[in-house]
Amino acid sequence: MIKTPKLAANLLFGLAAATASMTAPAIAQAADLVIGEIHPITGPAAFYGLPESQAIKAAADEINTAGGVKVGGTSYQIVIKTADDQASPTVGVAALRKLLGEGAKFIIGPIASGVAPALKPIIESRPDVIQLIDGSIADGLTNGKTIFRNQASVQAYNDALTRLTKARAYPTVAVMTDRFHAGFMGSQKTLVDALDAQGNKVVAQEYHKLNDTDFSAQLTKIASMKPSALVLRGYPAEGALITKTARQLGYQGQVIWEFVSPPSTVLKNISPAEMEGVLNAIPPTSQDYVALGNEKALKLEARLKKMFNAEIGELSTLSYDAVYIFKAAIEKAGTLDSAAVAKAFTQLKTTDVPMAINPYVPGKDNLLFTDGQVGLPGGVQIWKGNGWQPLADLKH
Amino acid sequence: MLDMLPQQLVNGLTLGSTYALIALGLTLVFGVLLIPNFAHGELYMLGAFSTYALVGAGVNFWLAVVIATVIVIALGVVLDRLVFQPLDHSSSLSLMIAALAASIILQQTATIIWGSEPRTTPSPIPGVLRMAGFSIAYFQIFVIALTLAAWGGVWLVLNRSRLGLAIRAVAQNKGAAQLMGIELRDVRLATFAIGALLGGLGGAILSANFPVYPTMGINPVLKAFVVLVLGGIGNLWGAILGGLLLGIVEVMVAGYISSQLQDVGTFMILVLVLLLRPQGLFGRVVLER
Repeated sequence: MIKTPKLAANLLFGLAAATASMTAPAIAQAADLVIGEIHPITGPAAFYGLPESQAIKAAADEINTAGGVKVGGTSYQIVIKTADDQASPTVGVAALRKLLGEGAKFIIGPIASGVAPALKPIIESRPDVIQLIDGSIADGLTNGKTIFRNQASVQAYNDALTRLTKARAYPTVAVMTDRFHAGFMGSQKTLVDALDAQGNKVVAQEYHKLNDTDFSAQLTKIASMKPSALVLRGYPAEGALITKTARQLGYQGQVIWEFVSPPSTVLKNISPAEMEGVLNAIPPTSQDYVALGNEKALKLEARLKKMFNAEIGELSTLSYDAVYIFKAAIEKAGTLDSAAVAKAFTQLKTTDVPMAINPYVPGKDNLLFTDGQVGLPGGVQIWKGNGWQPLADLKH
Repeated sequence: MLDMLPQQLVNGLTLGSTYALIALGLTLVFGVLLIPNFAHGELYMLGAFSTYALVGAGVNFWLAVVIATVIVIALGVVLDRLVFQPLDHSSSLSLMIAALAASIILQQTATIIWGSEPRTTPSPIPGVLRMAGFSIAYFQIFVIALTLAAWGGVWLVLNRSRLGLAIRAVAQNKGAAQLMGIELRDVRLATFAIGALLGGLGGAILSANFPVYPTMGINPVLKAFVVLVLGGIGNLWGAILGGLLLGIVEVMVAGYISSQLQDVGTFMILVLVLLLRPQGLFGRVVLER
């Protein structure tokens, strides 16, 4: 008897909570725009993926604060749903299915070149899903209909490299590639042909893989050929170890990296002195824009600091731009209907995304995407002191 | 091509000494206790992470190596007590599954504590010895010397001490050893502690040579099992020679055939040895009791 009022109160509370849980999503969905993002939040590539995820949330927060995404008379608040692919194709597929199951039709990511090809057939089987890749550089990922990419293609990386090797007129070059990196392996022959054609004779092509720890056999072979430049294509930890081993084995030529390498990660594996003068041929990174005083990049850096107490990542600006590209396409379409948004993607002009940080090169008729791919110019960085700096003069 | 040979041989010896160092502890535990301890790679990883963390906190590298090794010995004993001892009378399959489970748990724990980003401890012995025909880092010379010293140390314990006599007796015939009054629990504890010491020491030292990350033990322990097959299970000298042989073969395949075939070469040798000399290159045929 004594417990009855408490039981009744509990029942009433439970009923109220159940009613609220049934009605609350209906109200929220009316003004929510769900964007799913797939990045390696944990695992060996988390140092790439976590800053990208944070930049997406920063962009969404900025847009929401400014009034949201305007479609007709409705302002939609962006809701970001995050899925962790751990840079693994298997986990990535599960992550995508999770997002689709949660109703996300607009997807940003992934970064890993092994994950993106695994997601492609699933995305293509769902015409109501639009993907914007902000990280992976592998060839053949975009279709220009529902899959787009605002990251540079591997070709842009290779263009930056070939411009550098041509400007410096290296007579001989050796190339060492991560044999499980889909983007680099897929473009290996094209790169080697391009180098040979412009007079940078490729004297050695060697291979390694992620998490290898011994590169001495390959580097002994390379060092014996004394190439003017050694090009490394893979990931930062292996790049650092290869650079150290090459010097130890007496290689004295120019070491050139061709991959995004956060200084914090690099310096956990090699000393600044050993990195001094190493070149990196990649499109400009977020940190380059910060170093160059780009106001929007500086603003993003400050927002990331405030929201997550985190530094800006090398690819953060691409992820940030991706949210604004979705906003521009949806507003241009004037609806959340996927087919209309996908069409708007193909009609977007670079000027339609004024908040974008990266300097996308306009395609034909000033379009942002050509066959689903943006134009991003490659650049070269040089390691000085404790980090990379943009290299203006390629010859010196 | 032949002008590279001295350097490639040095590369092979250097790589092989790291395999041998890891295989020593594994072969001891496998040879005496018949436990296929896949978690040995995680003891190696924990030695490396502990050293990295201690050096990062300002502790001298050599002192950090000692502390890290002691930590790993303690963890190794706890691992045996919690994971393997309860399965003492179970099948080898149960032991293998338990070892794999322990391996994954330790990897995930390390990921939670330290994250997954690779990092390397600064080398305590900088510099490179350059000779006509080859060069080698002073630290790598130290690793080779340490591997030989570790072998010598374990050999002395096994062959010149009462504990070693007891360990060998248990390895030969557990039941007979028990009948002779040997306390199996003590032998087990000592064997696991020595195995963990070798794994932890290897990780602590090699953290200055290789990147440290939670799954760093997987590949070395797989290679160490190959070394065990090459050298003969439980054979210390076989672990050293098998490790060096594997290192040299890997380097020669990568240097003279193709770097894409480096791992293929390793496992081809494994298959060949299993087919042609299953007791290992340096092992003896024993009858199943």
